[in-house]
Amino acid sequence: MVGYRQQPGKLPFSKPGSGGKRQFSEPRDEDMIPESQGGSKSQPWGSHRHDGIVSGRVIGKPTALIDSRWKVTGQAQYGDDIRLPGELVGRIVRSPHHYAKVLSIDASKALELPGVLAVATGHDATSAFGVLPVTKDEHAMAQEKVRHVGDLVACVAAVDESTAREACRLIEVEYEVLDSIHDMRDGLEESESPIHDRGKYHIGESNVQKRVFQEFGNVEDMRDSTASHNSNWLFAGANHGFTEPHAVVAQWDPSGRLTLYTPQQVPHYLHRALADVLDVPMHQINVFRTFVGGGFGGKSDPFPHEMCAAILARKTGKPVRINFDREEVFWVNRGRHPSRIGMSIHSDSEGRISGIETDALIDGGAFASFGHVTTYYNGVLHTAPYEIGGFHYTGARVWTNKPASGAMRGHGAVNSRCAVEVGLDDICEQLEVDPIDFRLANLLPPHSSTITGFRVTSIGMRECLERVREASGWDEKFRKMPLGRGIGVGCGFFISGSGLPIHWDPNKFPHATVHLKIDMDGGVTVHTGAADIGQGSDTVVAQSVAEVLGLPLDMIRVRSRESDTSPVDLGSYSSRVTFMNANAAISAAMEIRSELIKSTSEITGSPEEKLVIGDRRIFRKDDPAVGVSYLEALHKSQEDRGALVSSGSYRTPPMGRAHKGAAAGLAPAYSFSAYVAEVEVDVETGQTRVLKVWAAHDCGKALNPLSVEGQIIGSCHMGMGQVLSEEMKYGRTGHLLNPDLLDYKIPTVHEMPQVFPIIVESNDPEGPFGAKEAGEGPLLPILPAVVNAVYDATGVRASELPISPDRLYKEIEKKCKGDGISDPLDLEPPRISHSELQEKLVERGRSHSERDVERRRGDEPSPYHNGALFGLDPEIPGDEQDSRWTAVVTPSEDYLDNPGLAGSAWKHVERRKRGGPQ
Amino acid sequence: MVQHRLPMLPPSDEVDWAASVNGNAISTRVESNAILLDVIRDSLGILGTKRGCDMGTCGCCSILIDGSPRLSCLMLAQEADGCEITTVEGLSEGHHLHPIQETFTECGGSQCGFCTPGFLVVISALLEENPDPTDVEIKSAIEGNLCRCTGYQQIVDSVKEASGILCRGDTVENSTEPKSDPHPGFTG
Repeated sequence: MVGYRQQPGKLPFSKPGSGGKRQFSEPRDEDMIPESQGGSKSQPWGSHRHDGIVSGRVIGKPTALIDSRWKVTGQAQYGDDIRLPGELVGRIVRSPHHYAKVLSIDASKALELPGVLAVATGHDATSAFGVLPVTKDEHAMAQEKVRHVGDLVACVAAVDESTAREACRLIEVEYEVLDSIHDMRDGLEESESPIHDRGKYHIGESNVQKRVFQEFGNVEDMRDSTASHNSNWLFAGANHGFTEPHAVVAQWDPSGRLTLYTPQQVPHYLHRALADVLDVPMHQINVFRTFVGGGFGGKSDPFPHEMCAAILARKTGKPVRINFDREEVFWVNRGRHPSRIGMSIHSDSEGRISGIETDALIDGGAFASFGHVTTYYNGVLHTAPYEIGGFHYTGARVWTNKPASGAMRGHGAVNSRCAVEVGLDDICEQLEVDPIDFRLANLLPPHSSTITGFRVTSIGMRECLERVREASGWDEKFRKMPLGRGIGVGCGFFISGSGLPIHWDPNKFPHATVHLKIDMDGGVTVHTGAADIGQGSDTVVAQSVAEVLGLPLDMIRVRSRESDTSPVDLGSYSSRVTFMNANAAISAAMEIRSELIKSTSEITGSPEEKLVIGDRRIFRKDDPAVGVSYLEALHKSQEDRGALVSSGSYRTPPMGRAHKGAAAGLAPAYSFSAYVAEVEVDVETGQTRVLKVWAAHDCGKALNPLSVEGQIIGSCHMGMGQVLSEEMKYGRTGHLLNPDLLDYKIPTVHEMPQVFPIIVESNDPEGPFGAKEAGEGPLLPILPAVVNAVYDATGVRASELPISPDRLYKEIEKKCKGDGISDPLDLEPPRISHSELQEKLVERGRSHSERDVERRRGDEPSPYHNGALFGLDPEIPGDEQDSRWTAVVTPSEDYLDNPGLAGSAWKHVERRKRGGPQ
Repeated sequence: MVQHRLPMLPPSDEVDWAASVNGNAISTRVESNAILLDVIRDSLGILGTKRGCDMGTCGCCSILIDGSPRLSCLMLAQEADGCEITTVEGLSEGHHLHPIQETFTECGGSQCGFCTPGFLVVISALLEENPDPTDVEIKSAIEGNLCRCTGYQQIVDSVKEASGILCRGDTVENSTEPKSDPHPGFTG
């Protein structure tokens, strides 16, 4: 016992339970301790590897966000609230043209204006950047061309806002206008001046940025089916509509280091991009994430205006602040891709989904952003939760002269998921079966592999469906309500973290790292780079640490703002933060925990394995009176070394198959959800009101149920906006008509239905305490649920979103005409009488349910590959046992003779493969 | 079309301006065409009131003028000359939060928090007038405020909780009070 100078018992904090006022600290809450640890919390999904570290105090209890007091008192500093002494105001000169060459920029008049300190143009920063390393196609300001109205041309720093605006007006820019394209279908064609030039990788001379072709399973036979659904969808673009416009402050301090204050979801990506563009080493830059006033994917790119602020601050030697008008937010966009999706779904006589064929053409706007990934996600993210016989996906993303599309909550999965779920509703209509029973009879079991080779671990899909069915009174309402009232179901499937770090560079590095520091005061400082954008990631990481160490939440403080002090975390995208960051936090806290237990063992003489952690006390499980306080154990551990520090990290396990594009959509876990929506449609006006939504989401384990419910309800709000009212409208001349929140219609409190959030906890084996994501997945089912409910109410199946009253009324009119009815009030709402298949499906669902319970509780469930439902051996991937089952990622000549819309992107040959001079 | 092409307001004269902001008498000079939001944020440096859209659509800039909710981005500063202005900073007394501030944290009324100051002042005015509002009254009060995170449901829940606190006459604890025993072991 080197250096142990004081005897236990002489220290005032050595009394048992000294963390509280009672002699013994509060006993563990047995209701929160899992069965596997002798507690009374039931575990219908089996035990979890983190059960042993549950102290039953924080995790799983509704918890206020730890930073909410800053927010409610107005003390939270968002981007525009950072005010530095002597700061200048920056403004951006934007292109008035859709597509033009920049011939010259004359800033002399602007520079003569008193109060103008600097003007910067594209010459000041020539390096390209972009969120994905493979598609760096953005610059701080226009190099040669401007690519959409609102594209950055130059920027100005001045003493105040009005001088800066005036200076922008005085900058003379000479343009040569080029032919612009606005319809995504035109992007597939050859062009005289493609919007970007990707050199030898350019696809033909077209504006195709990315194309994907995939065939899995028995594609040959899938069209030979009993029921088939075919539809052509048109989805309008949607904007995130976060309330905080972008804002950034840049300051180069006297030592020559840059601090950039910005509301960012991906501070680390920005950090790298800044280093590239400013040509300074990364260590010379401190990225400071301010409070983020809503992200939803809209603040997850490194942005040109952030570069502009840094360039202007460097030029002037003073801090520069740039804050956006709402209109500018729409120019930056990165919202949901406008999409044209062709969807075919086939079902055989057994009521199995024999094939899904998707052709998705997505409008990327002027830049790549996350589009590479979005193109894959539009296909691969609907290969589950159902077991399918064949999957054929063609996707293409094209550049057009519009503000760039990018990642938005439910990234890439929302539109195609809507098309799939609505298609299934139609299939069920044709087969005369109940859509919930149909789904229940076609689900993949837990611990299975999808047709594209995704490793799915926990699945709570069945429970989600069963619970919404019961809660909504589905069986009494479906196809039984009067005209104008309807009910519909939709499901969702989403990644919980992206398996391949989207930033391929640090492939060898962990996805998330957390550092802990505990000093004499006993409080725990958590250093993490995870970006809290309001979803509550700081709270979840604090909860995880508190739970493992048996401390109350107020003893944990999270420092997550600055890249100077935080270990790298890749950021808040792909619903990765809870899963990855909390896992990293747990592993860091486990190190501290074993130190504390070791010290306790030394003090009390009890063997380490007998000791458990409770409320600020470490004691013997079999005799709680024997133990020491947290502080005593801590101070013992600190002797001769000072503060306890530890580091924990998370990286994904090896996953997936080897075909091109196999990594897109790979995740360490997947979330599932099922919603039932009840709507009221005024058939005489086409006005739709969503009345109630029963929203079941499988988030693995709700670490903070208050946040999970908030995410579910918030997702309903955002999805409902997209399905009913939100649309980025472009006029005939290609101009964005509604870059403001008056005409871009976000639902207000009056449009919001009553949402009944239902949390399903499937206890994911690899998730922190069993948790998976809850931020994006819950958005997916609301769209199809509403569309299906509108069909139930009116007999009209929409295929163009949003279903605004004018669009819906046109469809109703068309249906009236077809049915020979003059008054829409005479329409017959659809009715159902079940076919013989219904019984079979119910029976299959029942037997699958038993299979699933067995698989989810088993320790080592046998492999299950998609295809078993179609008679294949579940232990071997389909294509390895049946020659009709294929895995193909390039189109055949046959296909190219008659391609789908997006598939026609494959008619072009990449420049490097065309031979001749390159 | 693009913002820099909008006509600029001409430079204007400065006028005397006085108001009581969160109980502090302030007297200064403002440009005669200055927008109240700009004065509050940029001149007075009271940053709790947020700028979301500049055209009265989002409600983030809501403040109370003589106790009634107004949108400060749609008001000239001169309109508030001589008035009592309350921003979110004026809702709490020291570290004793207003009940609606407390329940916003507890019930999840605030996620990203950017719209929160606007909601809070509007709701505080509602509760001042009607400490026990119905659902419909709550919804009517906040119809001019957009929230993109919560879907409003937890905001309505927060208002109901706060109403309960007010009706019971409870007060909210001072947040600087220790949350755990500060002198463990000494209480015997």
